[in-house]
Amino acid sequence: MINKISRRFFLSSLLLIPSLIIGTEVITSEDVLVIGAIPDQNPEHLNRLYKMLSNELEKSLNIRVKYLPVTSYPAAVSAFRTGNLDLVWFGGLTGVQARIQTPGSKVIAQRDIDIRFRSVFIANTKSKIPVLQNQNDLKKLKGKRFTFGSESSTSGRLMPQYFLQEAGIKTTDFKGARPGFSGSHDATIALVQSGSYEAGALNKQVWQSNIKRGRVNKIKVKVIWETPTYADYHWLAQGSLDQRFGSGFTKRLQETLLGMNQYSKNQKQILEMFGAKRFISANNNQYTNIERIGRQLGKIR
Amino acid sequence: MKKLLTLQAVNVLEAPEARLKDINLSITYGEKIALLGKSGSGKSTLLSTANGSIRPTSGDVKWLNVYLNHRTSRQRQHIATLWQDLRLIEELNIAQNINSGALGRHNMLWALRNLLGLIDYKPCLAYLKATGLSEKLLFTSVQELSGGQRQRVAIARLLNQNAELILADEPFSNLDPALVEDMLDLLLKKKHVNSVRVPNTCLISLHRPELVPLFTRVIGLRNGMIIIDRPSQEVGKAELDLIYRSK
Amino acid sequence: MKLIKFPPPILCLIPAITLIPVLGQIFSEIHVGGLEVLGEFFYAAVHPSFNPLVLQSSFQGLQVTVATALLSWSISISIGLFLGFISSSVFWKCFCAQEWQSTAIKNSLAIPRSIHELIWGLLLLQLFGTSPLVAIIAICIPYSCLVAKVIGNQLDSLDQKPLIALRQGGGGTFSSIITTLLPPLIPKIKSYGGYRLECALRGATLLGVFGMGGIGTEMQLTLQSLEFREMWTSIWMLGGVMLALETMLNYLRREQNTKKKIEKFTAQFIGILALSIGIALLWLQRIDINLFSGFSFHPIILPTFEELTNAIYELEWATLISQTILITVLASGIAIGVPVIGLMMFPSKTSVSLQRISWAFLRLIPPPLSLLLLLLCTNPSLSVAALTLGLHHLGVMGRLLKEGISDQINHNYLAIYSLGTGRRLAWLYGCLSPQSRSYLAYAAYRADVILRETVVVGIVGGVGLGWQLQESLSSYAWAEVALVTTAYTTVTLVGEYISDNGRKYWMSPQASKHSSQLI
Repeated sequence: MINKISRRFFLSSLLLIPSLIIGTEVITSEDVLVIGAIPDQNPEHLNRLYKMLSNELEKSLNIRVKYLPVTSYPAAVSAFRTGNLDLVWFGGLTGVQARIQTPGSKVIAQRDIDIRFRSVFIANTKSKIPVLQNQNDLKKLKGKRFTFGSESSTSGRLMPQYFLQEAGIKTTDFKGARPGFSGSHDATIALVQSGSYEAGALNKQVWQSNIKRGRVNKIKVKVIWETPTYADYHWLAQGSLDQRFGSGFTKRLQETLLGMNQYSKNQKQILEMFGAKRFISANNNQYTNIERIGRQLGKIR
Repeated sequence: MKKLLTLQAVNVLEAPEARLKDINLSITYGEKIALLGKSGSGKSTLLSTANGSIRPTSGDVKWLNVYLNHRTSRQRQHIATLWQDLRLIEELNIAQNINSGALGRHNMLWALRNLLGLIDYKPCLAYLKATGLSEKLLFTSVQELSGGQRQRVAIARLLNQNAELILADEPFSNLDPALVEDMLDLLLKKKHVNSVRVPNTCLISLHRPELVPLFTRVIGLRNGMIIIDRPSQEVGKAELDLIYRSK
Repeated sequence: MKLIKFPPPILCLIPAITLIPVLGQIFSEIHVGGLEVLGEFFYAAVHPSFNPLVLQSSFQGLQVTVATALLSWSISISIGLFLGFISSSVFWKCFCAQEWQSTAIKNSLAIPRSIHELIWGLLLLQLFGTSPLVAIIAICIPYSCLVAKVIGNQLDSLDQKPLIALRQGGGGTFSSIITTLLPPLIPKIKSYGGYRLECALRGATLLGVFGMGGIGTEMQLTLQSLEFREMWTSIWMLGGVMLALETMLNYLRREQNTKKKIEKFTAQFIGILALSIGIALLWLQRIDINLFSGFSFHPIILPTFEELTNAIYELEWATLISQTILITVLASGIAIGVPVIGLMMFPSKTSVSLQRISWAFLRLIPPPLSLLLLLLCTNPSLSVAALTLGLHHLGVMGRLLKEGISDQINHNYLAIYSLGTGRRLAWLYGCLSPQSRSYLAYAAYRADVILRETVVVGIVGGVGLGWQLQESLSSYAWAEVALVTTAYTTVTLVGEYISDNGRKYWMSPQASKHSSQLI
């Protein structure tokens, strides 16, 4: 009895395996444009935004577009290098990292705000750090508990660290001989506001949108300095797109992005979610400065 | 007559219990040998050396003129051991334990099927019958058996090995008299029980001098050395005294 | 150097001492600045987001995670079983009467085991691209090796006499090993395997880096953007699955304690493994995830010797390694000692069930989240990192301890209680003592896991090897990655050596004779 039952159970489960392997055949289709983005927003926002964008691109380019979510900055860079992503919304640093590792790729667009992007330094009001008059005043952050955002973020780490360095502050000058890495711009606000860190640096755009949404308690946290401008986020495309989708495709793709405007309801919504009025043309050369700083700080090898 | 097992100038110096010194011994086909000796005299070590589970420090042990560790898989099956602690596989049932005696004749897949209970159990019935176990017990876990029943299962497994020589380590301790009778009958007198072949040659260690007449030859061990080796008819009180005297 | 020899039950209690400096530092720097955010967090717990888009994407993520966990679990158990066999000394003794191969294999398995699945994921991603298969392999590598270690140790602790008997009777090496060692091993694998499934679920939750998404991705991104209501949607969903899984495993465990035939066990075991592979594959296909998509080889440029030597001088090894060890020791101490103290001090039924609920909660909350919550009310320090990891793994250890105690017969407890001792002492002598050895064995494995997981909390203040590894990876500095990985492995190996010898020293039979004496 027992034997029969167990035999049947055993055999039937063994039979299942091959049928399944046959079922999961490898399907690769070349004609899908895979887009991605560094994950710097909440997933609901990203899913909604990139689904809309995919639809929009499908409509105007007449190809299939798929959004592939990625959860970390380095993963986005690697996925671009390995060719799993064709068009990615990168930050300044990650974009340069990806471009260096992926010969032929090129910057095709950025937002109107990205050409003159800024970071803000914020401080907890109890920390007694005054509003800084100039970059040299960053010295006042010596010996304070200080946090960056994500380790690969341009506006939350690379540029603030660069400006600190220019002012003569090393990362070892902070309390505990090291800065923190909160993981995201929003977390930086929360942690500085709570007082766990006395100061921090983050993306100005995120700071403003947090103020707009009422998530900043102005009694507890204030801006102490705004950085000079630098070029940040951008769209990076693989160099092989013309080969795969027909000559002139990259140009058409760029034009589609640049052509988005406030008159179409969908496009307006997409731009709004990007926090921009429109996309503008951009090129590799705008990021030589970021590359230089990246190399200087060891984030680009 | 055909010499089955030979031990030449065997010394065992690194044994868990007792050592062996200069053992010379050969076992001929058809012999029934009683191995006598006090506790700690080296009986178990001798049996383990004879079946190859202990390697001698020096000297040669050969089976049919082949060094024990050079035997083919088929030749390894020729020696069957009834261990003192039986060494049954506690988690398995009687049928599976009996089958495990035949592992040498089968491949790994068969061993797996045995674990899964996917092997025809009918051949086991003959061994159950030969050892006097009830057929109803076939699928009982050996954990649930009495001491006597476990001993019978161990013998059934041993018979299934289809060996030429039986080595048994004190198989009669802790058994009731009727059972001892059965075992002696099976190991010493019979060549076949129903369809089951019983090996014709055996070396059995025991603490029961009164059973000596049932054997053909007696080997007496003392402090790891053979002090008596002669036909059983020639073993009397004097020889037994020599083996068992306290000093 | 001679050490004081403590009996095992005391050894279970001692690690809790680490709680004192950790809590000391944390309380001295505690503040209320983060109360608003903390309040939002707890408010969100009862008001999770029911936005259809959120629900839909969380549910999709949940399915991905569960299917991934199921698949990587069954694969890692199968591979681990195989590796466990070939890393056990009994196996090699059977083959060639030597066991150095076993030591060699065991030690080489420590290398893949000492690297966190997250790091494996990122490394493999570099080589093979964004494929769901990469996620599966990333979980399987350290998990298989961990299973292999446990299986290998279990095998070597089994009674080998029946094996010698069958070998002597001419049984083939493999056949004899299967026949004698599998039957006692399988029940153990089954209970351990169930526990591994939970670990796989946690592991799959952490991983989401591979274009596969998963509930971990949802949780991580909602955490980054502090969208607590959306985060709670995911947490509750995952909690539901974990609860269901635990209930199922408990049921299986209870059923297992009743007497059962080994062939049924074996068939069930193989059946469950095969079925979970099957179900997981079908499931992934159904939710539109193609395992092999995007899987191709992309070589990276290997670091040159010069780069490697340069990297040696660039990093502050002493600080990195000592920070990592300190976090691991403090966290392990908390994870090992606190459940013991908790159960001893509060043995009443209600407080035990309260503790079990809080353990379940601690297991459910991913460490990066608890780290952020802690950081909202205290200043950043190593202690915060240690407490975060300690709390998470405390949940795991607590459960293991309680299960072990519930499974044993409580005659000892009743005997000692009837002597007129208090409940707490009776618990210590009657319940904990018989469990303490296996608990400490599990504790050693846990310390291993905690060491790997320092990767997750390094972010607290850029501390330790874990953070350095992430920093080097995100800078694509392969020479540094290679060196930091080597350092990780070395620390793991040394840690294992110490814990193995420590266990031998403290728990050898002689030790119990001379317990609590100065020798």
